[in-house]
Amino acid sequence: MKTHFLFPNSFKKIGWLLFVPSFILGTYLLLSGFDFENSFVVKTFAIFKDQIIFKSTYFSFIENGILDELITVLVIVGGILVGFSKTKNEDEYISKIRYESLVWATYFNFGLLLFTTIFIFGIPYFYILVANIAAMLLFFIIRFHYKIYQLNKATNDDE
Amino acid sequence: MTNNLKVLRAIKNISQEDLAKQIGVSRQTINAMEKGKYVPSTVLALKLARFFEKPVEDIFTLETTD
Repeated sequence: MKTHFLFPNSFKKIGWLLFVPSFILGTYLLLSGFDFENSFVVKTFAIFKDQIIFKSTYFSFIENGILDELITVLVIVGGILVGFSKTKNEDEYISKIRYESLVWATYFNFGLLLFTTIFIFGIPYFYILVANIAAMLLFFIIRFHYKIYQLNKATNDDE
Repeated sequence: MTNNLKVLRAIKNISQEDLAKQIGVSRQTINAMEKGKYVPSTVLALKLARFFEKPVEDIFTLETTD
């Protein structure tokens, strides 16, 4: 059966190479209170930037620390490639496991988000929202690969 | 839905691995079907039927819960 909307298998390795280092680096910098705003400052194009003291700007070049943007892009692109590249032996059962993992990850992610929205306040909640950029992809990747691992193990145990 | 893939495979004396290759799926999928953990698509069911030269109903059987 044809599988749709998936990248070729060769993209999976690239995905891991982008996702893992950037995820670890991002988590570490965020938790260690790294000053993203004033590091790696370059001129970048902004569709919109609000400023507390000055007027907000639209469609202009601004000074911005780009490390947080860079890490976010790498985590998302890497995560998408890991989660949505075909496995070596992709077939309809593997695809089914992928879609089920995606549904599971969606429930789990929004369950956590609901819980933290109700019970966590202030700056910690801000961190949770930042973490949520990658959380669903992460839950999906873990769940999918765990299920594939279980499946491989069950198949090999039968021999 | 139950199936007798394991029996048919034994009669043909073909391994899960070889059957998987012939049909164009992973060995995991053949294994999962034999254990009743996975219900194949119509396409896959028809491919298996063609391989074993039997009607689909001779391989797959509905259960009362289906």
